[in-house]
Amino acid sequence: MKPSRHFLALAVIAAFAGGVYADETCNSPYMSKLIKGQEEFVHVWTLGVEGLGDGSDKLVTIDVNPRSRNYGRVVHSVSVHARGEAHHMGFTDDRRYLWAGGLGNSQIYVFDVGSDPARPRLVRTIGDFVERSGYVGPHTYYAMPGRMLVGALSNSADKGGATGMAVYNNKGEFVARYDMPKGEVGGVVGDGYGYDLAINPAKNALLTSSFTGIDNYRRSLGEVVGDPAAMKRFGNTMVLWDHKAMKPVQILSVPGAPLEIRWSLKPGDNWAITAAALTSKLWLVKQDADGKWQAKEVGTIGDPAKIPLPVDISITADGRGLWVNTFMDGMTRYFDLSNPEQPKQTYAKRTGKQVNMISQSWDGRRVYITSSLLERWDKAGEDNEQFLRAFHWDGKELTPAFEVDFTKEKLGRAHHMKFSARS
Amino acid sequence: MWARPAAGGRAVAALRLVAGALLCWLGGTAHAAADPTPAHAPQMQFVPPAPGSYQLQRIQRAPDAVLVDAQYRQRRLANLTRDKVTLLTFFYTYCTDAWGCPFARQLMGGLREQLLARPQAAGRVRFVSISFDPTHDTPEVLRLHAGQVPADSRLPWEFLTARGMRELLPLLDDLGQDVRVEYDDGGRPMRTINHMLKLFLIDRDGVVREIYALDYLHPATMLNDIETLLVEERRALGGGR
Repeated sequence: MKPSRHFLALAVIAAFAGGVYADETCNSPYMSKLIKGQEEFVHVWTLGVEGLGDGSDKLVTIDVNPRSRNYGRVVHSVSVHARGEAHHMGFTDDRRYLWAGGLGNSQIYVFDVGSDPARPRLVRTIGDFVERSGYVGPHTYYAMPGRMLVGALSNSADKGGATGMAVYNNKGEFVARYDMPKGEVGGVVGDGYGYDLAINPAKNALLTSSFTGIDNYRRSLGEVVGDPAAMKRFGNTMVLWDHKAMKPVQILSVPGAPLEIRWSLKPGDNWAITAAALTSKLWLVKQDADGKWQAKEVGTIGDPAKIPLPVDISITADGRGLWVNTFMDGMTRYFDLSNPEQPKQTYAKRTGKQVNMISQSWDGRRVYITSSLLERWDKAGEDNEQFLRAFHWDGKELTPAFEVDFTKEKLGRAHHMKFSARS
Repeated sequence: MWARPAAGGRAVAALRLVAGALLCWLGGTAHAAADPTPAHAPQMQFVPPAPGSYQLQRIQRAPDAVLVDAQYRQRRLANLTRDKVTLLTFFYTYCTDAWGCPFARQLMGGLREQLLARPQAAGRVRFVSISFDPTHDTPEVLRLHAGQVPADSRLPWEFLTARGMRELLPLLDDLGQDVRVEYDDGGRPMRTINHMLKLFLIDRDGVVREIYALDYLHPATMLNDIETLLVEERRALGGGR
C-alpha cells in the first residue's frame, strides 16, 4: 500500500528524534518543553574522589519514578575517565544532549540523554574551551537556539576572577566570546568576574553574576577565608546585558558574590532574584518605572555573622516561593516571595551536614538536594556527607522520600542535578 | 515518483494501525511523564538595538541537500542559501498548531510585506520553507500551498520538499531541528509532527547567523537582524550604511 509511506516517514522521524524532556524551573526559556508531571530520572554530575570507585567524574542516573521497581536507585553511571572537578551542566535547546563541565580541567562533556534517558552516553568532549575563549572554569550551560552559552569563572592568564562567556554551537564548535565588563557602565565599575547567567527573552535581558577565580576556588576554603587578600577577590557585581547585541548596558553593585540567578517565570513579572554567598543576603533585580534595572537587598538568610553561605536557590514555577540551601549549616529554607520586595522565611530544616544544590519539580511537590559545593571547599571527616536526598513537600513539611549515599555507592561527590523523562 | 496525497476514510484508519504497530516497534511505548508547556505568543517588552549596531554570531555553515520544488525541479539547497540573506524554516502543510507552522507562515508573510516596502532589501532577501513530510507534501501539494503566497521576484519564497527521509534527516540533524511524532492517550501515533519551531537566518555566504525559537520571534528584532546583515554586506563592499 503506497500511501503507507507517509506514516512510515513519521515512524522514521519518531525513531530519529528519540525523546527526553526536562526539567525544573531554572532551565533556559529556550528549551521547548518542561516536565510538569513526574520526572523519571535525576542525572547527577558527580565529582570523582581518589580511591573511591574509579576516582573519575561521572554522570550518575537515579530512577525517581515512584512506580518503578528501581525507585530511588542508581540505574546508570557514565565515567569520563578524568577527575576535573565536575560542577554544573545544562541541556541543549532540544533537550537531547546534556553539557557538563569541569571547573578544574575546563573540559566540557556532552552526554546523549535523548536516545535513552535511563542510559546516557558520553558522545563528545570539547577540549578547546581555554584555547578558544581564554577563559578557565566553564560553569553555567544555558541553552540558546542552536547554541550553548557558557559562563566561566576564571581566565588562563592570571587565574583570577576576570572572565567571560563563550558561545558554542550545538555541534560543539566555538562561536564567540564576550568578556565581563571591567570599565564603568551605568555608573558602576565592573570587576570582570562571572558566575551564573540567565535570560529573560521578553526583556531582551541577559543577567550575569560573579564569584571568584580558580586561584580561590581550587584552594581550600579554610585557606581562602584566612587570607584577607584572597577574600577581596570575590565578585561584587551583576551585569545586565542587551542579549541581542551581547553588550553590557548596566552594571549593578551587589556585594558578596551573587551566585545563582532565577528570573520569575510568572508572565508579566520583570524581576530576578539572587543570593549573595558571603553576605547571606537576597537581592532583587527589577526594572523601575523608567525602565532602568535596579538591584536591591531584600532579605537575610540565616545569621550572616556565622557565614551560612547560601549556595543554591530554586524558584517555584509561579514565582511565589524560593528554596535556599546554605552550605555551612546544612539548612534548607523556604521563603515566601508573594512580595518579592520583602521575602519572608516560612520554613527551615537541616537536611544534611553540608548541602549545596537544590532542585524542585515543576509542581513543587518534590525537592532534591545534593551535598558537594567544591572539591576543596567540602567539609572533612564525618561532616563530608555525600548524597542525593529526595523529599516530598506538602507546603508545610519536607518529608524524606529516599536517599542515595554517594560515598557508600563509591560514586563521589554529588553536585548538579537535571531531570529527564521518556517522552 | 511521489504518491498522491493520502486517501481518507478507512484506508487512513488502516494505515494508522499499521503505523502504530511500526512506531511501537521502532520507538517503544509512550510514557506520560511529559506535560507539554502550552505555547504562548512571544512577548516583546523592549526596543531592539538598531540595525548595524551589533554583530550577529556566525553559528554554523548552512548544510547542503538536494531538494525538490513545487515544479518538480531538483534544487541544491546551497544555491538557495547563498548570495542573498535567507530566512529558512521547516514546516508541514497540514500543521494546525497555532504556535507552530501557521504562526511561522503568518510571521514570515508579515516580514515579507515589510521587506518589500524597503527598497534596500529588494532582490537581496529570500525565504525558504522545507517540508518535514516528503511523503505527504509532494511537489503537487507544495504547489497548492505555495499558491496562496503572492509571487514577487523581489523577495522569492521557495517551498521545497525532499525526495525522501534519507535526504531530509541529515539536513534536520545538521541544523539541530528536532522533530517527533505526537501520541494519543492510548500510545497511538497521531497525525501531528511535533517540532520545536525554529527559523534560521543565513547570510549571503551561507553561514547561519541567528536561530529564532518561539521566544525569539519578535518581528521588529528579526527585521533589524536582516537589516544588520544587509548593512554588513554594504560595509564589506565599502558602501558604509
